[in-house]
Amino acid sequence: MRIIAVAYFLFLAAPMVLLVVGAFGESWSNTLFPTGFTLGWFVEVAADPSFRRAFITSLQVVALTCIANVLVGVPLAWAIHSAARRRVRMAARIAVLVPVAMPELVLAFGFILVFSSDTLPWLGSFWLLVAGHVVLTLPYTLTTLLADLEQSRLSVYDQVAATLGGGFPGRMVDIILPLLAPSLMSACLTVAALSIGEFQLSNLIAGFLSRTYPIVLLQAFYGATGFACAATVVLLVLAALSALGNAMTGRLAAKEA
Amino acid sequence: MTLRAWLPALLSLPGVMIFTLFCLLPLVAVLAGAFEGGGSAFGRLFADPVFWNGLQGTLLLGTLAPLFSLVVGTAVAMALARFAPRMRMAALVAVSLPLTFSGLIIAYGFILLLGRSGVIPQLLAGLGLDPAVTGAFIYSPAGLGLAYSYYLVPRVVLIMLPAIRGFEANQIAAARSLGAGPLRAFAEVMLPQIVPSLIAAFALCAAVAIGAYGTALALVGTQINILPLVLYSRISEGTSDLPAAAAASLILVAICTAVVALAEVFRPAARS
Amino acid sequence: MALQFDQVSYRYPGSIQGVTDISLKIGDGELVALIGASGSGKSTLLRLLCGFAAPDRGQVRIDGEDVSPAPPERRKLGVVFQDYALFPHMRLWENVAYPLKVRGMARDARQTRACEMLARVGMAGREQDRPDLLSGGQRQRVALARALVFGPRGLLLDEPLSALDAGLRAEMRDEIQRVQRQAGIATLLVTHDQEEALSIADRVAVMRDGRIVQIATPHEVYDRPAEAWVAAFVGQSNLWPGTVAASGRVETALGPFTCDTGPRPKGERVTLLVRPERVIPGAGPINGLTGTATADRFLGPVRRLDLSVPGGTVKVETHLPGLVRDITIPPDAIRLLPAEASLSTAV
Repeated sequence: MRIIAVAYFLFLAAPMVLLVVGAFGESWSNTLFPTGFTLGWFVEVAADPSFRRAFITSLQVVALTCIANVLVGVPLAWAIHSAARRRVRMAARIAVLVPVAMPELVLAFGFILVFSSDTLPWLGSFWLLVAGHVVLTLPYTLTTLLADLEQSRLSVYDQVAATLGGGFPGRMVDIILPLLAPSLMSACLTVAALSIGEFQLSNLIAGFLSRTYPIVLLQAFYGATGFACAATVVLLVLAALSALGNAMTGRLAAKEA
Repeated sequence: MTLRAWLPALLSLPGVMIFTLFCLLPLVAVLAGAFEGGGSAFGRLFADPVFWNGLQGTLLLGTLAPLFSLVVGTAVAMALARFAPRMRMAALVAVSLPLTFSGLIIAYGFILLLGRSGVIPQLLAGLGLDPAVTGAFIYSPAGLGLAYSYYLVPRVVLIMLPAIRGFEANQIAAARSLGAGPLRAFAEVMLPQIVPSLIAAFALCAAVAIGAYGTALALVGTQINILPLVLYSRISEGTSDLPAAAAASLILVAICTAVVALAEVFRPAARS
Repeated sequence: MALQFDQVSYRYPGSIQGVTDISLKIGDGELVALIGASGSGKSTLLRLLCGFAAPDRGQVRIDGEDVSPAPPERRKLGVVFQDYALFPHMRLWENVAYPLKVRGMARDARQTRACEMLARVGMAGREQDRPDLLSGGQRQRVALARALVFGPRGLLLDEPLSALDAGLRAEMRDEIQRVQRQAGIATLLVTHDQEEALSIADRVAVMRDGRIVQIATPHEVYDRPAEAWVAAFVGQSNLWPGTVAASGRVETALGPFTCDTGPRPKGERVTLLVRPERVIPGAGPINGLTGTATADRFLGPVRRLDLSVPGGTVKVETHLPGLVRDITIPPDAIRLLPAEASLSTAV
C-alpha cells in the first residue's frame, strides 16, 4: 500500500516538476534535463501578441463566469434547498449530472448546431463562450453550496432571523450570504480553475478573436520546448493557486465550524 | 403569501433559463440532428468501419484506464486513511490538483516525461533500450490510458477515502480473531462493504475517460482510434454528413449516461 | 483450558505507554475481570492476548502452550469487541457462522450450528436479519454467540456493556455470566466499570499504570484493598493519613481512632480506610465524631452525606432519615493500608 502511494506521489509530481524545470531551462534537446537557466521563455510568452490577447480573453471569461456563478448559483441553490421536495431535489440532481453525462465535445457540437442558425447566430461570440463556461461550471457551484446548506444550520438561523422580523432581501444579505461565504469562495476558486483551463468546449465554439489561452497554448506544443513549458506553467500556476486558495478557505471554514 | 410561494421559482429562474438554453437546447439539437431523415444517419454510421474502430478503442480505454486508476486510487486512499489528519489534508490537496488541471497541462507534462526525447526513455536508453521504441509508448492507447489515469486517480481517491475511513477497523480485528487470515479478512469483510464505492468510482472515471478528447488531441493529434477524436475531426473539419456526426454524438452521450446512471445507483449506498 | 500471562512486558513503539511484568492466570471456567482507569494498560493486555501485539518480554500461554508468536487467527479465542464489530453486510446467522465458514464447515452444518447458538443467546427467529436492525443489547447477544460458536479456548470481552443503556446493563451482565457459565470457558472481562467487575467476576485484577496492583476475589478487593488507590478506585471510601500512636490507636487530623493495628510498630505512617456505609449515625462509646452536613444527597435506597468535622470531611452512607450530627466509626470498620504519598491522585 505504502509503496503504491509513494510511487503515485512521484507519478503525480513528475509532470509538474518537468514542466517547471523546462520553463526555466535555456535549451533542452537530447539531454536528460535542460541546460542553463533563463527567464527568457516567460518573457517571450508575455511578448507574444496572440498569447497576450488569449490570456486577457481568458481572464475576462473567468471573471464573468465567476460572477455569473454567484448571481445565478446562490439563488438557485437556496431555492432548491428551501423547496426540499423530492421532485425538486431529483431535478436538481439530474441537472447536476447532465454536464457529466454529456461530454463537452457533444455540448460543443450542440452549440454549433443551435447557434449557427439564423435565429440565434451567436457562434464565435465572446458571450456565448461565457455562457458555455457557466453551464460547465454551475454544477460544481451548486454541489458545493447545496452540501454547505445541507450541513450547516443555515435554515435555522434564517428562521430565527425571520421570527426577529427580517424580510427576505435583508436576510439574504445579513444571514445567508455571510454564512455561505466560505463555501461560495471555495466554489468560485474551483470555477475559476476549471474555466481558465477549459479547452474541450472553447476549442470548438470560440471565434478566432475570442480564443482562450488553452486554445492558443495547443499551438505552442509544436514549437520550442522551453516556450511550450513556460506557456503551460502559466496555466499550471493559476490552477495550483486556486487549489491552494481552496485549501486555505477550507481550513477557515473548518475552523469556524 | 403569494410572493413567498413564488419566491423559489423566481430565484431559480435565471439558472433554469441558462440550463435550458445552453444545455438542453443543444442536446435536443443533437438529438433532432441524429434522427433527421428518419434515422438513416445511424445506418450510414454503422456501415462506417472508422466508427466501429473508434467505438472499440473508446470502450477499451474507458474500461482499462478506470480499472487501473481504481487499483492505484484505492491503494492511495488506504494509505491516506492511516495518515495523521494534518498530513492527510495536505496530501489530499496535492492529490486533488489534477482535477482542476487542463488536459493540456497533463498532455505536455507526459510528453516531457515519456515522449520520444522524454526523461524516462532517455534513462532507459542508458540500459540499452531504444528511445524510439520506449518513447512511442505514451502515444499508444496504453500510454493514453496512463495519461488519463493522472486525472482519474484523484477522483477515485476522493470517492474511496470516506468509504475506507468509514469502515470500522475493528471488523478486521474481529474477523482475524474468528480465524480468518489477513487476506481473507480483507476479501470477505472489507471488500464487500466498499464495493458500492468502488463501482461508483469506476463509473465516474469511465464517463470522464469516454467523453474526453483534449488530452488525447494534444498528445497524438487525431491519429488514435477513439470515438471522441473521430467525432472531433469530423466536426472541426466541417463534415458534410452532420446527421451521422449527431448520431455518433448521441451514442457517446448514451454510453456516458448509462455509466453515470450506474454511478448514481450506487451513490446512496456509498454514502451511508 | 487456561489463559496465562507469564511476566509479560510490552511498550508501544516510541512511547512510554505499555504494560510491565504482568503475571495472571485465568483457570478453566473462571471469569476474571480486569479493571483500571483508561490508559492503565487494560486494552494492551487484551491486544497481547488476542495476538494484535507481541510481548517484548515474557510469554502469553493458552493451555500452557506459548502462543506469543501466533497471529490472531490461530489462537482460537472468542473476542467480543467494544462496539461488537458485527459485519454489516452479513445476516445474523452468517455473522455467527463466519468462524465456522473460515474453518471449512459445510454451509448447511454451519447454518444449523449458528441458529442453535443464536437461540442460546435468545435471538431465535432473527437469523435472517441484518445487524443494523438490532438494538445495542441484541448486538451484544449476537457478538457473544459469534465469539462462542466455534468452541474457543477462551473468551475475551472488551468493555462489553459500555455501549448499553444503564437499564440494560444489569440484564446483559447476568446474560453474559449465564452464557459463560454454560460454556464453562476461561474468560477475561476488560472494563472500567468496577460495579460490573465486582458483580460477575470470580476474581478481579486491578491495573494501574501498566501494572497489576491486586488480584483477588471481589470481596477481598473491596474489603481488603492492597493500597489506598485501589480502595479509592473501587467503591466509595474515606481515606485519611495517620500514624500508629500505640497498639490499637491511630492518630489522624480528625483525632485519635481506636482500631486493630496488628503488629505495626508505633510511629508507622498508615492510611485509614473507612467505607461510608460502615459509618453509623448517632453517638457511640468510642470513635465518635460530631459535625455538620455540608451535602445531603438522596439517592433512593441510600442517603449520601458529607459531614464536615474538625480536621476533615467524613462521607457517610445511611438509609435512616433525619438530621445527622453525631457519628460513630466501629473499630472493625477501620482498615489500615500502607501510607500513600499522594492520595489526591486516587480517583
